[in-house]
Amino acid sequence: MSTTTRNMTLGQRFLANEWSALAVAIVIGLVTLAVLSPAFLTEFNLYVMLRSFCVVLIVAFAQMLTLAVGQMNLSVGALGGLVAITVGGMMEKWGFPVPVAILCGLAIGAAGGLINGLLTVRTGINGFIITLATASAFTGINLGITESIPFYNLPASFVAFGTGRFYALPYLLLPPVLIAIALAFFLARTVPGRQLLAVGGNPQAAELSGIPRDRVIVMAHTLSGLLAGAAAILAVAQLGSAQPTIGVDWLLMSFAAPIIGGAALTGGHISVAATALAVVLIVIIQNGMVLAKVDPYWVQFLLGALILAAVGLNRLRAVRAGGA
Amino acid sequence: MKWSLTHGFTMTHSVSSDTRGRPSFLAEQSNLIGLAAIIILFWILFTSLAPGFVSSFNLFALSRSLAVDVVIGFSTMVVLATGGMNLAIGSIGVCAVMASGYLMQTIGLPIPVAMALALLLGAFLGWLNGFVIVRSGVNSFIITLASASLFLGGMLILSKAQTFNALPPEIAAFGRMRWGFVSPLLFIALGIGAALIVLFRFTALGREILAAGANARAAELSGVPVGRAIIIAHTLSGALAASAGLMLVIRLGAAMPSIGQDWLLPSFLAPVLGGTLLAGGYVSVVGTILGAFLVTTIRSGLLVMQIGNFWLQLFLGLILLAAVMLDRYRSIYAERRSLGRKDAGRRSSGRRA
Amino acid sequence: MRLTIEGIGKDFPGVTALDEVSFEILPGETHALMGENGAGKSTLIKIITGLYRPDRGRLLVDGKPVDFTSPRDAIAAGISAVHQERNLIPRFTVGENIMIERPPTRNGVIDFDRVHAEARKFLDMIDPSIDTRTEVRHLSVAQMQIVEIAKALSLEAQVLLLDEPTASITGHEADALFAVVRRLRAEGKAIVFVSHKLEEVMAISDRVTVLRDGRIAAAGEPIAAMTRGKIVAAMIGREERVAEMGTRNVDGTKVVMEAKDLATSFGHRRVNFQLHKGEILGLYGLVGAGRTELARALIGDGKVVSGDLRLNGASVSIPDVPTAIRRHRLGYISEDRKAEGLILTHPIRSNVAITVWRKIASSLGLITRAGERRLVHPLVEKLEVKTPSIEQAVGKLSGGNQQKVSIAKWLAAGVEILIIDEPTVGIDIKTKTAIHELIGEITREGLSVLLISSDMPEMITLADRILVMRDFAIAGTLENSHRYEPMSRAIMDFIHAGDEASPVGEGVARA
Repeated sequence: MSTTTRNMTLGQRFLANEWSALAVAIVIGLVTLAVLSPAFLTEFNLYVMLRSFCVVLIVAFAQMLTLAVGQMNLSVGALGGLVAITVGGMMEKWGFPVPVAILCGLAIGAAGGLINGLLTVRTGINGFIITLATASAFTGINLGITESIPFYNLPASFVAFGTGRFYALPYLLLPPVLIAIALAFFLARTVPGRQLLAVGGNPQAAELSGIPRDRVIVMAHTLSGLLAGAAAILAVAQLGSAQPTIGVDWLLMSFAAPIIGGAALTGGHISVAATALAVVLIVIIQNGMVLAKVDPYWVQFLLGALILAAVGLNRLRAVRAGGA
Repeated sequence: MKWSLTHGFTMTHSVSSDTRGRPSFLAEQSNLIGLAAIIILFWILFTSLAPGFVSSFNLFALSRSLAVDVVIGFSTMVVLATGGMNLAIGSIGVCAVMASGYLMQTIGLPIPVAMALALLLGAFLGWLNGFVIVRSGVNSFIITLASASLFLGGMLILSKAQTFNALPPEIAAFGRMRWGFVSPLLFIALGIGAALIVLFRFTALGREILAAGANARAAELSGVPVGRAIIIAHTLSGALAASAGLMLVIRLGAAMPSIGQDWLLPSFLAPVLGGTLLAGGYVSVVGTILGAFLVTTIRSGLLVMQIGNFWLQLFLGLILLAAVMLDRYRSIYAERRSLGRKDAGRRSSGRRA
Repeated sequence: MRLTIEGIGKDFPGVTALDEVSFEILPGETHALMGENGAGKSTLIKIITGLYRPDRGRLLVDGKPVDFTSPRDAIAAGISAVHQERNLIPRFTVGENIMIERPPTRNGVIDFDRVHAEARKFLDMIDPSIDTRTEVRHLSVAQMQIVEIAKALSLEAQVLLLDEPTASITGHEADALFAVVRRLRAEGKAIVFVSHKLEEVMAISDRVTVLRDGRIAAAGEPIAAMTRGKIVAAMIGREERVAEMGTRNVDGTKVVMEAKDLATSFGHRRVNFQLHKGEILGLYGLVGAGRTELARALIGDGKVVSGDLRLNGASVSIPDVPTAIRRHRLGYISEDRKAEGLILTHPIRSNVAITVWRKIASSLGLITRAGERRLVHPLVEKLEVKTPSIEQAVGKLSGGNQQKVSIAKWLAAGVEILIIDEPTVGIDIKTKTAIHELIGEITREGLSVLLISSDMPEMITLADRILVMRDFAIAGTLENSHRYEPMSRAIMDFIHAGDEASPVGEGVARA
């Protein structure tokens, strides 16, 4: 069992790689859709696909960071909803300039995550229950403030950013791409990023090695909240209005993408690239469903099947690696 | 810095690593008494602020939603007993709901037959969850998250999200039936509770489920068929979720595809407030009933006071937080008195030669 | 740096792990810390490295009191340790694991070239063949151990604790490690060496401290003044050696379990033995020899891939544990009581009755607590479990009483063959004797016991015959004369048989 990746052929390495199956699935999906549907490769359809990619990607990253330390965050959607309506409210009711409103929104997201992290670490209760509770609380504040009434009158410049595009490339794509690069760099090359993965990989070892475990867990939750906030702001820009319902359907997606990308609930094993590829796959499937004019409910069904398939595949790979 | 010692390695990161013990008899009772006291407090509060709270109309409405909340809580509780969780409860519930609607309205089967088949479907979907969890060895969180989506999607595809609202009139009539101030549904829920008490206290199967939840490895080496216990718990959970769904059909007089989508929070609230351990190995049936009672009371009270649904979510979230934190601090306090129990847990989780 | 341990005490529920422990670790020495399993070594190490806080007493560094609240504090004070648990991040590279505490950075960005270069330096001291860019999860257990040692070296601590560092490495690697230890000592560092391999300790240490039952049995004695016998006496105490088993009559004609050329999915091969009715058959071997795995395979928690397993003369195949218990009356007490043996959060009643719930259930499938009590109470009385009530959670009992509950569970199940794995791990000496007597008593009543133990005196006290296991095979069988010196020598001969050319024996002899 001491064979290292070095001794493997290129093909073996590709097979052993977590995201190889994803890449294959994406290529098959793209080719199939391109052949079957003439509408698929049009500029507008590509624009639509890329636009729907943006919010989902950041939501997936928000969950991925808590999964990295072996935690979970059920409040991504609720926190997103709260940030969306506060940003909307600040711009519409209080007339805050766009950048100020965005910064405040991000700060609220981070604060929500900080609360999750501190509660988890301080009480020692597992993150599932804590974030289930805070999710309800965040939603309650959201609904209590808005009484379910959206903010429609947002600054024109903000809305324009949400709809603007350069050929097939939506402006909206810029923040997620920057975030993905920053996140990949953070996790691969910075001390806090490595500490985050170390705590997820073996909490006891990390603590014995002098890594402040609790602080790292709080950091992961805070970053998760920050990203949930960022996703919410993008969602507001995309929709052109601040809906209190933003985020209600994020939960499944937030887990689906990292898990399809090979993340383990036990922590320490996540990948920015694989998570992004998983989101690409999900978006392609959604788009394919729309183009094929299939019942939209199929998306829900297939997403569940996809998660099971991915989990099964990872399991198989683990069994095979263990038996070899 | 004082925290670095108290939560050490026993701090719960994953669902299964909670090392809190089974509460002692006294602690268990004090938890239930505390919960009952809080419920009474809320009743006094709501009654004095809004006299409509104890009107016979409201009491009847409250008893009907309590029945559903209790059974939803049971559905999660039986899976928590194994140390797992079931996020697919709402999806299984709505599958049973729509199946019963289809069987009664479109096929025209007699009510009891349709209901029995719907229950069977719920049990089957639960069994499917359990089977996949045991066979794959993958965390129940992921499996049931995926199957929730799968079941819901399947139901929507098949039903086209159409409500069945031409059910036999006996259904709605049963829903309106009153025994005194309360709906017979509540008695059904309490009957299920009694059966669960018997299961967990007096049967080998129930004991085996709890043993598997508390320490799967030790249970296995003692001859407990752990895989079977987990599958049965999930099957039961599915059947209970279906029961809760059917209760809603009776209450609403229609089978709607939107049923079950808001079950996640209450399904955990009731057992967790009632003292059931997330780590598995200990359940409290009475606690779950009281937990559901508290949730229903608050919901109904806020409704009567016309604060409405908007702030309800915030209240429920805060109550859940308060409850788990209170429980945590109480156990830490108890540990301080019986010295360094945390360290003992830490030691056991530590070395293995 | 001088580390003083002064009157340290630590309590866990039901047991005092350490009491009044005082000794001193000096710069430029190799200080052996010895003691049997459960003597308190691990607890003491955890206190020194900041993982536990002592309930009594204090630590002093160069005469100044220190209070470690986390491992960070201990590391900052210049104390680092190689713990027995694997403490590496599986998906990080070797280099990063070694440098994890303070990775070199440039402008806040980790400089991985320097990470690997630095790690290389420390790794080269022991084993230059390991690539620093390999992920740790691809390494063998021995290689991981080496990485851990390199990691501790990289902290350039003044006090280095090595907890059983040679448990899973080869003789060559151990030699390299000892060379490093000598070099560090020459540089004025203090090395605390925890081991139960006497030969190693004698070869490398300057002074030795022995713990027994949580107390000091020998404090910083110069090794030159100690003999092997003196150290053993300090470790196990006098009373252990003279424990009497009484006369035992084993009917050598009635074979209850027989293995013929067994091979298992764990890698055992050609395992042959016979277990007689009422016999205690010892299974001795070093950690990693495959004893626990053999037990697992026998009870159906692993697979027998070839060969013949006979119970009472009939050839059987056991697919799972419930079948082993119910059909073949074969039970297993795990070495890890807390993780695998007992359900700590459940009461004694449930823990004992768990094996027979199905049996005592009425025709309706119901069991009552009263029914369980009727079954459990006599057993608890008989085994003299000290508890206020059988409703007490097992986690609150002392180790000895927990072990009695484990035995009660199998008596309740009515097993005929019981495999007992390390029956007295973490149990104090007085209770140990009680457990030993209990095992003797149940065999006199007709039960047959396969006893797994790494505790040589225990083995020689209890067993009628001793199988010596080495490398997943039976290296030999001995009739037990119950005389310590010749028996222990005979056992060690089997363990090292065919080993003459191997570096283990050589390394120790040369050192």
